[in-house]
Amino acid sequence: MLEIKNLHKRYGKTYAVSDLNLSIPEGEIFGFVGPNGAGKSTTMKIICGLLTATSGEVYVDGVDALRQNKKIKEKIGYMPDFFGVYDDLKVDEYLDFYASVYKIKEENKRKIIADLLELVDLSRKKDSYVDNLSRGMKQRLCLARSLIHNPKILILDEPASGLDPRARVEMKAILRNLKDMGKTILISSHILSELAEMCTSIGIIDNGKMVISGTVSEIMQQVYSKKLIQIKVNGKLEETVMILKEFPFIDKITTGENLIQAGFDGGDDDMSRVLSSLVTRAIPVATFAQLEGNLEDVFMKVTKGGEEK
Amino acid sequence: MMINPVLLKELKVKMRNWKAVAIIGGYLFILAAVALFITLANSNDMYASTINPQLSIGAYTGIAVIQFILILFIAPALTSGAIAGERERQTLDLLLCTNLAPSAIVIGKLLASMSHILILIIASIPMFSIVFLYGGISALEIAQLFGFYIVTAIMAGSIGIFFSTYVKRTIAATVLTYALGIFMSFGTLLIAVFYIRIFYNFDYQSYLPLLYLNPLAGFSSLLTSQFGGQYGSIMNMIPGLYTINPYTYKGPAPWLINIYVNIGISVVMLFLASIKINPVRRSIFSFLKKK
Repeated sequence: MLEIKNLHKRYGKTYAVSDLNLSIPEGEIFGFVGPNGAGKSTTMKIICGLLTATSGEVYVDGVDALRQNKKIKEKIGYMPDFFGVYDDLKVDEYLDFYASVYKIKEENKRKIIADLLELVDLSRKKDSYVDNLSRGMKQRLCLARSLIHNPKILILDEPASGLDPRARVEMKAILRNLKDMGKTILISSHILSELAEMCTSIGIIDNGKMVISGTVSEIMQQVYSKKLIQIKVNGKLEETVMILKEFPFIDKITTGENLIQAGFDGGDDDMSRVLSSLVTRAIPVATFAQLEGNLEDVFMKVTKGGEEK
Repeated sequence: MMINPVLLKELKVKMRNWKAVAIIGGYLFILAAVALFITLANSNDMYASTINPQLSIGAYTGIAVIQFILILFIAPALTSGAIAGERERQTLDLLLCTNLAPSAIVIGKLLASMSHILILIIASIPMFSIVFLYGGISALEIAQLFGFYIVTAIMAGSIGIFFSTYVKRTIAATVLTYALGIFMSFGTLLIAVFYIRIFYNFDYQSYLPLLYLNPLAGFSSLLTSQFGGQYGSIMNMIPGLYTINPYTYKGPAPWLINIYVNIGISVVMLFLASIKINPVRRSIFSFLKKK
């Protein structure tokens, strides 16, 4: 659905986006992660035809987005990170305006607007002035606006930024609905746990370059070449360490108070062997688990601390 | 027929606003005050009780001049914030990522502002009824005057749109629009005076082409031609600077050429604004870069 090849965007001598490659199949939700100034918004604006690329190729549903700018606008719904609303327009008038812009027929407008307001849970606010809506409501209205022409792909730049926890949950629910409707979504966010939960795959961009991309588990595997196991014991800490050292697929053992962490480079059978060996030798094992790395750790690791570079 | 959605939206929003009522109210108040003043001043005339076309011409000139000045002031104010305001409100990107053509955005904004000017002009029609009361001015001449107003307003509005597109801030766009307006109204006049003084020693027997850019020169040419006088009387205020003998001058009326020039300026300004507003415009020199 969306394919980016060797995309570059240069401002003077600085590259905002450098040799970016990306492919998002139809129906996927792709999370775009990166520190501020990494090039996420620039990439999104180039896809939407709001910025020119220095070089590279962008295809939206098979259409060359850099050369056939007009054609791709029908296919894309864009929600920027910062946006304004028109004073003195009511909620349904706001959507009516954008429906007119997309030349939606008068007889279809009412139903489309009603459906969209229902989707973003703003039906009861349709006669309110846009300016009087809360931030969360404005975000939802902007999302409805981006859907007015039924685009195939949604480009959402930080749609949950600045929202309170309730509004974030509501936004997440809407995005899940859109996923169920089969929309392809490219979403950027700083709330990494939410992205990991919601996205089919993610890409981490830093300094204009795609550092890593794939499903969350693929990324974890790439970043953490070895798994990490954690064992909590009720005593016999040193004896436990000695036993662990007998296994060739275990290394980098660190200990805390009744807690042992170690690198593990084996399969599930090897994991069972370690556990049964500990139990057989009467080690009082309280917990035995493989640690899941989280996206925040991955993010910090691959972006080298983000803005502090 | 599909009406420009930007125009529809602007009309809806602007007419809902109290400012629209205030502008129309203030505008009519000023015109009414001028009309009343001129009527009262002329009514002291000993012939006032009889039919006196001179009174009609005085009232007509007074209202027409004040209305022209008001339009020259209001048109740029309505348009200079049109695009820059969208940028400041962060709504421009939302418009540009739709399939609305950049030229449609620019023209929609201009038409919305011009519709306000049109409302002002229509609202002022009753003021001109005073003129008909005493005779001396035909309906055709009033139509000419309104036509000149509209073309001048479009020209001033297009300049406002142009700066609004090229300058990011509304205030800067407004200042630049008025600066160019002042240059066109007074700067060209000053240049003309110096030019004719230096090169012709005030003996210039034609209409200096530079003055086709000057809306005041065009307007005074229109009024004086309507009164059967010499064309371009604004220049006659400076003795010896300019004269055209209406009986020997064969060319088209200067105000008519002024209208064509204004239309040309408007087209160029709107074209440049449409190019500038397009975020993925290709440079006309891009073929040189490729080489």
